[in-house]
Amino acid sequence: MPGFDFSNYNRNAALHARGVPLPKATSTGTTIVGCIFDGGVVIAADTRATSGPIVADKNCEKLHYISSNIWCAGAGTAADTEFTTALISSQLELHSLSTGRKPRVVTCMTLLKQHLFKYQGHIGAYLVVAGVDPTGTHLFTVHAHGSTDKLPYVTMGSGSLAAMSVFETQWTPKLTEADAVELCSQAIQAGIFNDLGSGSNVDVAVITKEKTVLKRGYVKPNERGQKLKSYIFPKGTTAVLNEKIIRKEDLGNYVSVHELSTTEDDAGDKMEVDA
Amino acid sequence: MEFGNSGSLSEDGIHLDMDRLKKGEVNLGTSIMAVTFKDGVILGADSRTTTGAYIANRVTDKLTRVHDTIWCCRSGSAADTQAVADIVQYQLGMFAMTNGKPPTTQTAAAIFQEICYANKDRLSAGLIIAGWDERHGGQVYSIPLGGSLHKQTYAIGGSGSTYIYGYCDTHWQEGMEEKEAVEFVKEALKEAIKWDGSSGGVIRMVVLTAKGADRHLYLPDTDYKVRHST
Amino acid sequence: MAMFSQNPIMNGPNYSFSDTPKVNAPEGARQHRFDPYTDNGGSTLAIAGKDFTIMAGDTRLTSGYSINSRYHPKVFKIGGTTADQKDASIVLSVVGFAADGEALKERLDAICKMYRYRHGKAMSVKACAQRLSTILYQKRFFPYYTYAILGGLDEEGNGAVYSYDPVGSYEREQCRAGGAAASLIMPFLDNQVNFKNQYVPGSGEGHALQERPRNPLSRTEVEILVKDAFDGAVERHIEVGDGLQMMVITKDGIEEILLPLKRD
Repeated sequence: MPGFDFSNYNRNAALHARGVPLPKATSTGTTIVGCIFDGGVVIAADTRATSGPIVADKNCEKLHYISSNIWCAGAGTAADTEFTTALISSQLELHSLSTGRKPRVVTCMTLLKQHLFKYQGHIGAYLVVAGVDPTGTHLFTVHAHGSTDKLPYVTMGSGSLAAMSVFETQWTPKLTEADAVELCSQAIQAGIFNDLGSGSNVDVAVITKEKTVLKRGYVKPNERGQKLKSYIFPKGTTAVLNEKIIRKEDLGNYVSVHELSTTEDDAGDKMEVDA
Repeated sequence: MEFGNSGSLSEDGIHLDMDRLKKGEVNLGTSIMAVTFKDGVILGADSRTTTGAYIANRVTDKLTRVHDTIWCCRSGSAADTQAVADIVQYQLGMFAMTNGKPPTTQTAAAIFQEICYANKDRLSAGLIIAGWDERHGGQVYSIPLGGSLHKQTYAIGGSGSTYIYGYCDTHWQEGMEEKEAVEFVKEALKEAIKWDGSSGGVIRMVVLTAKGADRHLYLPDTDYKVRHST
Repeated sequence: MAMFSQNPIMNGPNYSFSDTPKVNAPEGARQHRFDPYTDNGGSTLAIAGKDFTIMAGDTRLTSGYSINSRYHPKVFKIGGTTADQKDASIVLSVVGFAADGEALKERLDAICKMYRYRHGKAMSVKACAQRLSTILYQKRFFPYYTYAILGGLDEEGNGAVYSYDPVGSYEREQCRAGGAAASLIMPFLDNQVNFKNQYVPGSGEGHALQERPRNPLSRTEVEILVKDAFDGAVERHIEVGDGLQMMVITKDGIEEILLPLKRD
């Protein structure tokens, strides 16, 4: 069965009615923007993810791949933006394969709005859709309830007001690529510094007819300062009540072990660790 | 959860649920209208879209094509009205292809009503359908919140319309020239925008006649006096 | 034309605790009540040393997702003879609802000044601490929505820190963090000031392990801990940032230090 699993609905409704709160989803209380220029479109985002007042991720990715010529910036519930864009990306790829044509931005926008409208706002995805296709350059916003707008410059998320104030004062028709990138970066920084839901770095994606360039960490105005003291504890500082050593040779007694090659390239991706 | 267990059932059996209208959006702020005139119809609208107090789009196009010379004015939820208009546009496209002739305005309005009435408990959409067809010329239909259908000589809608009932009533004339009708719509919408806080931005119009659709745009920068290119 | 927003301040159905259904409310009833409190975010911190006390707080003032001010002090000198408080010896920090904090500060300052006028001497920290408790409890049923910390030097010249809840329950402590990032800073302080969960390596097996002995921290050490605590809090709490205000109370007076913090 495709779609969502509702098997815990009744149990959760009963718990909910007894006052048990919902688990808190990670929301990307966010600033995302987009801006069209002569020959393409730029989208940009901040990189803070929050859970209530706590910063859940200092450097998350809010620019999502749809196809090589279409990218999406997401605000709202992190999981919803992630899965919705992935789902539509997949549908668009299959559609492109079956028609033998490059995917169009309007197609992407229509699939998104119809998907989101079906769920009546319960899927909390707020998206900026941008791309270049054979019909031209396009920029849309899609709200969680399924409404869309088509504008030359757009902002979304909790920092949208701060970002829009930059566009409304600085935007001019006929921007160059460099101008558009700078304007979007400034708009995101307005969000980063004036909206508590947004923070850390600026990510930018530039889409033109020829290619798409993703500039991860285009500006990093919030690098962490050096700690004034070392907090390394001498070994043995933590109390250990008991200890059991399992040798590598005996590991097979507890779990099934598959030996992997130890060479650098097929050892799998390095895990990303925050500083 | 969302619907059904909130609101109250009054004596006459009418289910009232204020929460449904209030959830997410109290203000269905818009000013829209459509009028018939000698050669066809004119649709007009402001361009403001709001989320709470924030203007999410100041140049919105609330005049939506559902067929070559059948258009609608949308008010209420942006998502709902876009979804309904998309469905009707598809249906009318199919109609034209299967029957080899364009649909009438009445047909379009009937399809709109079908959707709005069947889903009245799920939609907040106030629509005005206006079109020109070979058989009947210019016609205007209004579909308010419950999904009823009203054929009118002119119709006004949205929160801004409350301010211009008097204006429209005194200034309305049957069978106006195009120029007069454009002025009537423009002056009415100017008043609506002036008094209604949730209406604003530019004034958009579409003139539907035997010659097809003609778009008008009037900007507040020039006091809505000059017609700009779209 | 209406659209729906994801911003909790604006409207928008949200996936959050506030959506929990109100089971006790009668059908169709809508709550409408007077709500005079706001949480203005921010965090405070106080550490008592051997012959000094450091009181600190960030200078950001927020409401919701907005920054109302990047420089709104939360740490105040109390009970000096003049408006500039240059001869004061007690420091009060307040966090929570800024308007109540301001009112509480003004009230305590006035009381300290009256005490000096009537008795011809400055109030001791101990006396001031007891008086502050009384002030807070007087408003037991309409509280000052503040978490206060009072700092100074006691009669022996040792650093003293008193911490309060909004209705006046108080306690003298070695160190205390208050406000939005208290839950982030307090465990750090427990570990670095009182050496909690630290044991002397190789001093025994299991429960026989010796706890790391506490030794009084120097002023420079404490200053470093305060700065690092706030740098850490700024990284992970959205309501903390902009500036760090520190007051160092010694027998020679109160030194005020202002340092920048991240502004995002």
